[in-house]
Amino acid sequence: MNSLIKSASHYFSVYKNFVSTSTQVQASFRTSFILLIFMDLFFYISSLASVSFIFDHVETIGPWGREQLMFYISYMLVIDAIHMMMFSHNFWQLSLYIRKGDLDFILLKPLSSIFSCFFRHFRTPALITFPVALFLLIYYGIAVDISAIDWMLMPLYLTLSITLIILIEFILSTAMFWMVEGTGINFLRMQMQQLARWPNFVFSDYIRKFLTTIIPVLLVGSAPVQFIYNKSRFELLIVMIVALIVLTKVLNTLWKVALNNYESASS
Amino acid sequence: MNAPVIRADKLSKKFISYKKAPGIKGTVSSFFKRKPIEKYAVNNFDLTINKGEIIGLLGPNGAGKTTLMKMFTGIIVPSTGELNILGHRPSDRNLDFRRKIALVMGQKSQLWWDIPAMDSFLLLQKYYEVSEQNFKERIEEMGTILNVTSLFHIHVRKLSLGERMKLELMASLLHNPEVIFLDEPTIGLDLVAQENIRNFVKRYHEKTNCTLILTSHYMQDVLALCKRLVLIFDGKKGYDGAIGDFEKILGNNKTVNFNFSNSQNIEEDFWKQYNPLWNEDSTQVEIQVPEDEVRAVGLEVLKKYPITDFQTEKMPIERVMKTLMENPDILRNQKTP
Amino acid sequence: MKNYWLKWWQTIKVTWVKHTAYRLNFFLQIIGPGLVFFFIKYQLWSSIYRGDQQTIIGGFTLDQMIQYHVWGFLVALIAQANGSWNLSEDIRMGRISSYLIYPFQFHEYHTASFVSFQFIQLFIATFTLALIVLTQLAFLPSLYYLIQGTLFTLFISLFWFLLQYLVGILAFWLEETWIIRVIISIVSYFLSGAIIPLDLYPKWLTHILDYTPFPYLTYYPIQIFMERPVPVFQGYFVITLWMLITIFFINFVWKRGIKMYTAAGM
Repeated sequence: MNSLIKSASHYFSVYKNFVSTSTQVQASFRTSFILLIFMDLFFYISSLASVSFIFDHVETIGPWGREQLMFYISYMLVIDAIHMMMFSHNFWQLSLYIRKGDLDFILLKPLSSIFSCFFRHFRTPALITFPVALFLLIYYGIAVDISAIDWMLMPLYLTLSITLIILIEFILSTAMFWMVEGTGINFLRMQMQQLARWPNFVFSDYIRKFLTTIIPVLLVGSAPVQFIYNKSRFELLIVMIVALIVLTKVLNTLWKVALNNYESASS
Repeated sequence: MNAPVIRADKLSKKFISYKKAPGIKGTVSSFFKRKPIEKYAVNNFDLTINKGEIIGLLGPNGAGKTTLMKMFTGIIVPSTGELNILGHRPSDRNLDFRRKIALVMGQKSQLWWDIPAMDSFLLLQKYYEVSEQNFKERIEEMGTILNVTSLFHIHVRKLSLGERMKLELMASLLHNPEVIFLDEPTIGLDLVAQENIRNFVKRYHEKTNCTLILTSHYMQDVLALCKRLVLIFDGKKGYDGAIGDFEKILGNNKTVNFNFSNSQNIEEDFWKQYNPLWNEDSTQVEIQVPEDEVRAVGLEVLKKYPITDFQTEKMPIERVMKTLMENPDILRNQKTP
Repeated sequence: MKNYWLKWWQTIKVTWVKHTAYRLNFFLQIIGPGLVFFFIKYQLWSSIYRGDQQTIIGGFTLDQMIQYHVWGFLVALIAQANGSWNLSEDIRMGRISSYLIYPFQFHEYHTASFVSFQFIQLFIATFTLALIVLTQLAFLPSLYYLIQGTLFTLFISLFWFLLQYLVGILAFWLEETWIIRVIISIVSYFLSGAIIPLDLYPKWLTHILDYTPFPYLTYYPIQIFMERPVPVFQGYFVITLWMLITIFFINFVWKRGIKMYTAAGM
């Protein structure tokens, strides 16, 4: 137990350094910094407006009305903001690291290589857009009148959701070790996010089952939000927790195999 | 007797690549049938290194030096064979193992390009859990010896290659590693920077008695630092022994050069016994003289001929290396001591 | 003169090989996203209409809505797939120096690369269209509309190429041009009718959009393929105008960029 706390605090102090070095680097590229903020804002606007325009013509999509779907979209925007802030850049760097052989230095460090690969780069500009997404979540959360308990559990829901999506993406990223050119995997990864951006009932039966069990992207938002709306619908949440455990195991195994396959390009 | 620091037993690494003919036709045909090519980068390599040794690992480009270094550090996994370093198997990538080693690569940088070196150092301090006190002392000490303390707060991208290499070296040594792998640390550097780095490594080794494995194409590096040489040719070990023995691998002859003020008669019997190599207008000759006769022969030539200049070779090792690289088969007939 | 065209031809051949060197990557990067985008919209609209063929939303039956997105997928394949990815990298990594020495210029090289890319995309689009017609997801328009739609879409692709080129050469100053690229794609997806038909947008917004190039990028080409009335000549006119503006900026940016580049000796 003591060693667990010690190692946690070690990782935390390393992570603090990751954040500060990343911030330093990005602060020197001011235009990119500002453009990134605009990119996120445009994305929020287009996501919400598209759904809103559809609701100008229909009453419901599946069982949900306008506010309910808007809340779902906002929930996923918060996930996206966290993803953007903590993870997004790392996936792109990983494919470079592997291709150029810079992974060498990561493998030499006395830290979990999954940690130093996927938590290395922090996108500071997302600190500006994250509150915007959070505001949207609260605004539509009030509109659909979610309970006090759910507000309290919200950090937990969000943690489960972000953990699930990044686990899926980490697993996909291991494929980069076998490919000379890793960008394709990054695009595949982003398609997973696209799929998760819509509630699961949008998808037809078999596809929904496939995307709930085999590649469980539909659980990311649908499991917690369905539960928030209706407490008798906890089954997806249970599937989600099982998925988290299974995927962690899969990742650990695959990651080992992937590292053993690393050829370390010279220069 | 302590257990060896590094023990490699029949270590091999196989890479597979695919052949593709040029052009669209090649692309189409390789789509259906790819021809795998197996290549052994390292092949049945045995090696034992004891604590405190400095080993020079030499060989031509593509011989497998870097592959070997990367297996030693756990970056890549051997295809077959056993490897034990400080009681660990590197491919397990045990965290304790990683704390005990360091790898410096002349061709790659671990310092962050866009921030000052000090920030990278601070990050490494966290990585390796180096105490504040210890960290400060080491930075101060190494920085002073290498004369780079004024560069700590400059963006790395603004530094020269030599300055960066010194900081790279510091970065790798912050955690006081027991085994240090130096992969061409002086490549591309000017003569002064090369010498600085050599001297630093030498001092560092004297002080800490760490184990050092060095690869380099510069024989000055090897002469200044190593007592023992390991040669690798085409993935296989070619030579393993003392540097002094290596210099004599092609015999005990020394090469001596003479320049004359006018053309000489190259048919003279005196020259023929020393296997002479003349230039076109016969004003310069290179002869091979047995080591114990150098003085006598030199005196005789100076007396008898119009000499304007003469040299005896400074680094026989360079000549031996060159000959071996051009013709590695020589080693096959040579018994490794 | 002949030698000049041979340079083009050889470059087109070489870039073709380059584009297709990593096939899985090409599929995942170029075709995959469009496919998933279409798949999601197919699922979404099927669920909105609840499979009901009678319902009409924004003037579209379910069938027509699916067709709209099928053609949207094809238009994107031909018009927007080229990312000019290498362009920024060429500048950032300093590879541009070799083009300053070659007797074949940077913009010629990338235009040739674009042409070979379009050949690949047309091939893929034809194949996709055949699949679509065979599975009866959409119906082939008459030859007249098919040709007109293809020509207009190719024209649009040229505009996209110029736009991407402009963004690409901003790499002289910008570390990460992909951000602008993503911004452009988010905005244009939204305003060109790629996510939902513009017919469903509020009237005030579509009125404003009529003064921008956006509707011509996706909405109008789809309309042509669906044999609906479209102001084609106005489309050519507006896009030509925007192309000229883009070319003007490309020249402007390039001149300043190259001046800075050669001065700094990056």
